[in-house]
Amino acid sequence: MRKPIRPAAVAVFWAACAVLLLAETVVVKIQSTVLRKEPKFYAQTLVNLRSGEKLEKLASQQGWLQVRTAAGAVGWVHESAVDTKSFNLLAMDKSMKTQASASEVALAAKGFNKQVEESYRAKHGNLSFVWVDRMLNIKVPAAELEKFLKAGRLAEFGGAR
Amino acid sequence: MNMPRFRIPILAVGFALLAASACETLQKGVGAIDAQSAKVQSVAKVAKQIRSTFADISEEEEYYIGRAVAANILTRYDVYNNEGLNLYLNAVGAAVAAYSDRPETYAGYHVLVLDTDEVNALAAPSGFIFLTRGLLKRCKDEDTLADILAHEIGHVCAKHGLQSIRKSRLTDAFKLLGEQAAQKYGPQELAQLTGVFENVLGDIAEKLIERGYDRKYEYEADELAAEFAARMRYDGGGLLDFLGTMAKDSTGSSDKGWFKTHPGPQDRIGRVKGQVKTFMREKVRTDRFRAAFRGLK
Repeated sequence: MRKPIRPAAVAVFWAACAVLLLAETVVVKIQSTVLRKEPKFYAQTLVNLRSGEKLEKLASQQGWLQVRTAAGAVGWVHESAVDTKSFNLLAMDKSMKTQASASEVALAAKGFNKQVEESYRAKHGNLSFVWVDRMLNIKVPAAELEKFLKAGRLAEFGGAR
Repeated sequence: MNMPRFRIPILAVGFALLAASACETLQKGVGAIDAQSAKVQSVAKVAKQIRSTFADISEEEEYYIGRAVAANILTRYDVYNNEGLNLYLNAVGAAVAAYSDRPETYAGYHVLVLDTDEVNALAAPSGFIFLTRGLLKRCKDEDTLADILAHEIGHVCAKHGLQSIRKSRLTDAFKLLGEQAAQKYGPQELAQLTGVFENVLGDIAEKLIERGYDRKYEYEADELAAEFAARMRYDGGGLLDFLGTMAKDSTGSSDKGWFKTHPGPQDRIGRVKGQVKTFMREKVRTDRFRAAFRGLK
């Protein structure tokens, strides 16, 4: 004799399916960022995230989003690093019954990119990007930032008014 | 109770819920279906209809605009190459940016010193920030420096550079950009886009370097600076001190740099004074400021 299915278990199963399908996705819109263990810029890095990577939004807290990566890692990204805005393509193109994120629109439309910069540089030989690239290499690691804030008694490590 | 008889209705309801969820998922575009080529084509097709204002410029586009504006600034000024000072300025900049309204930009915030006695501070789109040696010499402690950096970061947060682009340029740009979904542009499209790119840069450079942003943007950046400084527990009074110093500066009559591109310091003090929050200027901060600035010409 077959074992009966419990209605509660079935309900839980379908609820889980619905939650998975209705989960909100955000897209990394900057060159790279990291998934952090806590909602702080100096928190421990869990994994590196690249532009265009899709993340499942789980929760939000004062400008930070708790997300899950495709590989299952759960952590925090700042909302300024991801795109949550979506455009209703249905209103503009009857053939596509969906929406697209701002990042997808920008990616599909391309835009001012490396190729355009190279073309601009070829036309303006007097311009040098050497120091532009050098300044991009000046980076403040998360551990240094925390040390700097703590030592200077800043923000949450801060002193009195 | 005979449980199996519930199976069919339960499964049917479940499938219905799942189907409804799937439809909603498609309509919401939550990414359950990856960006298939048909969607990419469709997105490209409508992109030109969607993008119309500076706010629709993507992070990557803003980055390439910012890079080129920075390169233009660096053709006018030499760099003051002091590694220790650069690291310190970037630490202050990173700290302020982390507590700003826009902590992350496409490639982050970066600060560089320009080797000139002229007093000036420039913020190119996407977070390329330049402070002149002349301005740094007028900073007396870390809190003042942080307040000035907070003002520049405020310009980046509010996208004042991008707001300087004429609307007609954006219309041209988005029209061209919306027509192309290819990974690489052909020669004709590339030439057209490069022309639009030059015009966009011209608009920003005219405001940022030549004439200065509109007064309302400077006042807004002061307000943001006061807010970011308070979040950091930096003394917002540093901004007032700097503006006070500039008001008394004997070079103020010169029609150059900061004096040319910013509203009068007394006017700015009057407007931002009420929004500034004061905090104790910790000795440890002033000490590390002095150590980093030691030897500044």
